[in-house]
Amino acid sequence: MKYLSILILLTCSLLTTMVAASGAARTPEQLKSMTIEIASNLRCPMATNQTILDSQAAIANELKAEIYLQLEQGKSKDEIVEFMVARYGEKIRYMPSLSVGTFALYLIPLMLFIAVMCWAIWLIKTSRNSTVYLDDEA
Amino acid sequence: MAPEIGLYLLIIATTLCMLIPATKLLCEKLKIENNYATTLIHLNTFSLCCSVAILGALFVNNDFSVSYVANNSNSQLAPIYKVAAIWSGHEGSMLFWITAMAIWSSWVALKQKSSEKFHEYFYVVTALIMFGFLLFLIFTSNPFARLLPNIPAEGRDLNPILQDIGLILHPPLLFIGYVGLGICFSGAMAALLDKKTQLQQNCKQLRPWAILAWCTLTGGNAFGSWWAYNELGWGGWWFWDPVENASFIPWLISCAMLHSIILSEKRNSHYLSTLFICILGFSTCLLGTFLVRSGVVQSVHAFANDPTRGASILVLFSIVSIAGFTLLAYRFKQLIPTINYELFSKTSMMQLGNLLLLMASLSILLGTCYPLIYEVIASHSISVGAPYFNSLFVPIVLLLSLLMGAAPLTHWQKTEKTTKMTLAISVVIVIALALTLNIVILRSFTFFFFCGALSCLWIVICIALTLWQKYRATTDSRHTRRFYCMCLAHLGVMVSILGATYSSYFQQEELLRMGPGQGKVVAGYTFIYEATEEVETTSYSAIQAKIDVRNGDDEHLTYIYPQRQTFNSNGMQLSAAGIHHGLFADLYISMGNQLSEEEYLIRINYKPMINWIWLGAIMMMFAGIGLLTCRSRQTERLSINQAKALNGGIL
Repeated sequence: MKYLSILILLTCSLLTTMVAASGAARTPEQLKSMTIEIASNLRCPMATNQTILDSQAAIANELKAEIYLQLEQGKSKDEIVEFMVARYGEKIRYMPSLSVGTFALYLIPLMLFIAVMCWAIWLIKTSRNSTVYLDDEA
Repeated sequence: MAPEIGLYLLIIATTLCMLIPATKLLCEKLKIENNYATTLIHLNTFSLCCSVAILGALFVNNDFSVSYVANNSNSQLAPIYKVAAIWSGHEGSMLFWITAMAIWSSWVALKQKSSEKFHEYFYVVTALIMFGFLLFLIFTSNPFARLLPNIPAEGRDLNPILQDIGLILHPPLLFIGYVGLGICFSGAMAALLDKKTQLQQNCKQLRPWAILAWCTLTGGNAFGSWWAYNELGWGGWWFWDPVENASFIPWLISCAMLHSIILSEKRNSHYLSTLFICILGFSTCLLGTFLVRSGVVQSVHAFANDPTRGASILVLFSIVSIAGFTLLAYRFKQLIPTINYELFSKTSMMQLGNLLLLMASLSILLGTCYPLIYEVIASHSISVGAPYFNSLFVPIVLLLSLLMGAAPLTHWQKTEKTTKMTLAISVVIVIALALTLNIVILRSFTFFFFCGALSCLWIVICIALTLWQKYRATTDSRHTRRFYCMCLAHLGVMVSILGATYSSYFQQEELLRMGPGQGKVVAGYTFIYEATEEVETTSYSAIQAKIDVRNGDDEHLTYIYPQRQTFNSNGMQLSAAGIHHGLFADLYISMGNQLSEEEYLIRINYKPMINWIWLGAIMMMFAGIGLLTCRSRQTERLSINQAKALNGGIL
């Protein structure tokens, strides 16, 4: 019985999120903020290194409208981004997707971070072996 | 005639730069005392200053036979911009850079009374760097090159975007910062060439240079972003553009350099990391210069681009970094520090912070260069932009803030149990507070907001605790000024983080078509489009919207005038935003394309706390100036002793 109620609760919450995520319940306010969010992560195909949101090129304004329309139709953020990538190529994405070619872009910072952490761990081990005194000069 | 004299002066400077290492070698061989270095340094500075003055005079006199003047000036240009135009393009800014380096080395020479080995090496390395730069300047980008025989009647005008107060302040500050990194590089090389026993003494010399470099780089970056925010008309203040990154990476490294030098000075150790950072700083500076000036990256910030020059800068970069790192590797064994501190100590926290700063700068460098490398290998292009850099940088900033807050509270080698307990309790409180703030304000967990809130709260609480600790232990008052400067700088970082987080989460934006008589309410302010006006100035004609701003009580607050400017000289179109600045919020309006006969696309932004970003930077700069002007411990001790001796004598 207990498990059943948990299951029902889970399904309910899942359903609510699904409904919220689909376009059915989107208010114009939500649509606007979502448009801004998507447009600020995509590169304008015309202007030099500007987002669709910031660019004043004609194409950027068209694409802003396109994003809004597609959101109104109930498409999700990922679907719209995929649509844009299919039309304008990988370059339109400011956050590169993870692929063989972009693997190093994500891996190297992670490796650097792990190296820093390794240094910290090494420090704990070394300082344990040597006696450390509290000195009063702050 | 004048341009030729300018060029001759550059050639003379090049020769002088070559003579400095030559005399050093010769004197060592003949075993005679070398007294020539400082004279040659001053002569070099003099000739470079003269050539800059000549370039300035050419601009003021509208000598369009000189191609650099013809490309960057116009007889209609305001006099102040004619002077600032000296550093508005590639050639002039390189000349400015070299001259600043010469002046800095002269300053060092003037302050140094007795001749030491360290300074001799320092002059030699600095002269060699200037020699390389001067060769580059003369052979690939001569600012005095003539346009003969077809002398244009009128210049092409300074790029309209550059005609702003930003041009007068931003590039010089940035170049002085770069020069500072170059000077620190020379100092590091000189320290490596000098005897090991002198290392502590020599690294102390680097401290004021590093502070000044950090201070000017802080100012340069802050002014740059403030300028972009005011001028470019898209409302952004930081975009992780390659050109922005090229100046931001050296700033991050200069932060690490400053802390590492202080650490070396206090602990008489960690010279390896200090010298490594000094060498890395100047290398990334040159790499950034290559990225910006060779035109290999696409940027929103227009700058002189020429692929042919890229190769020469790359050669300079390779020579500097290979020479620096080889020498460091050669001395490596003598520099390995002994570990006499535990993880929870000031020493290790500062080291950890420096490592994180280096990690951040290398990752940003990778992200900046990645599209280039990718294009070469995979032959199609990708973009690496703000979302990537934010997701990388924000967590690092959080970690840095945690260290920044905790480090001043701890001891150099080991920390008392009570301090550990206080820190642990405050961490729990601060995390709880940040989470509550996040949930109450945004209604859902947002990682970036949480990071920002946590960083700010933590730094504030830790500074308060540090001040309390200092207040209780008033035995040592010698270092108070340095201590307060440190607090001010850290508080500045917190203010900047606060501004950045708050403005990005609570800004409100409207994009709409507007014509005379139409209005819109944004963030409680009513914006009424009153009329479209035409404006004529000497350099541009513009159409501007007159927008009436009313507050919640419907009282008139101000008029904002966003413009679309068309420049007379080259027909370039530009949109200039209208901004109503306030300490707690900016009202920002930019004017877009014409949509119908009377209507324009208008973008209205409400940006709360945005000015705090630059307020924080100003606090950091003040802290830097405070550090620079306070006397070092040694001189203070000396003067105390002198005073005591004097008192004793009188008594």
